[in-house]
Amino acid sequence: MANGPTSDTPAEPEGTAGLDPAEMLRMIQQQQEAARDATEPDGRVLFGAWGLAWLIGYLAMWSTARDTGVPAAWAGWVLAGCIVGATGLTVVHSVTRTSGTRGASARVGAMYGWTWFLAFMAFGVLLGAMGDAGASMEVQAIAANGFACVIVGLLYLAGGMLFEETRMYAIGGWMLVTAVLAAFAGMPNTYFVMAVAGGGGFLVMVAVEQVIRTRRRSPGPAERTEGGGRDA
Amino acid sequence: MPEELDPVIHAPARLRVVASLAALGRGDEVAFPKLRKLLDMTAGNLSTHLRKLEDAGYVRVTKTHEGRMPATYLALTDTGRTAFADYQAALMDLLKGAQG
Repeated sequence: MANGPTSDTPAEPEGTAGLDPAEMLRMIQQQQEAARDATEPDGRVLFGAWGLAWLIGYLAMWSTARDTGVPAAWAGWVLAGCIVGATGLTVVHSVTRTSGTRGASARVGAMYGWTWFLAFMAFGVLLGAMGDAGASMEVQAIAANGFACVIVGLLYLAGGMLFEETRMYAIGGWMLVTAVLAAFAGMPNTYFVMAVAGGGGFLVMVAVEQVIRTRRRSPGPAERTEGGGRDA
Repeated sequence: MPEELDPVIHAPARLRVVASLAALGRGDEVAFPKLRKLLDMTAGNLSTHLRKLEDAGYVRVTKTHEGRMPATYLALTDTGRTAFADYQAALMDLLKGAQG
């Protein structure tokens, strides 16, 4: 429908009069950045959502567990709400950005998304089984926090390998460190570690992504336009 | 200068098309409406440029159906990817020549 020859195609000027190589290269760079923005999820959005979710959710758990040794029920709901919210935002953002594309990246991306879902389903069932088997609140808390970090860490490491994203790999490694720290922090500080090292780690990544974007946009040597380009 | 640069790519509209497609991963395709929106071109205009790129062997056009709706997907061919890399290299050479 959209591809038939149409009469609304004016004879376009074929030349590039007035465009010098520096301008052409800048145009290429801007166009490619726009194309990536239109087809790939924004790391700042995803890291930001998860950073805030962990920071708010686990601080609620920690602050209530500090008094009584056990997190309040409402804090559990806050954490659950934060996780659900971040999950929803991740799915909506990723699907919106990648819609209208297909091929190898779309297939790998879909499998990667399902891997998260499957891993956390299994995680939930295992935690339930531990509770049924008589694990204490403390053991359950350590297992929940430690295994959550291990799953997140391993999946980010895998994502780093899949998408050849070094930053993703780095945060994956950091989440494994967080798992160890959270496990040895004990109650209630395990929640504090989750909020600060885990949530904080994601938020640091937002800043890193922002710095990289700003640097990419700042004029490089290829963009110097002195000498005038219109004297040809 | 135009003699050294690939004339198929060396037109602002087609350069933007090729640059956008080159930003996708190898083996990835983008739907026509999405590309049109990204480039902010009219459908007719984009079709014309895509046909030229297809004729040159730079772009692969795949027509398919999604449910009952016809859909068109675009991708850069290996030839197109190479041509774009050569074009960028030629621009860099020109830039170095102009500054040196």
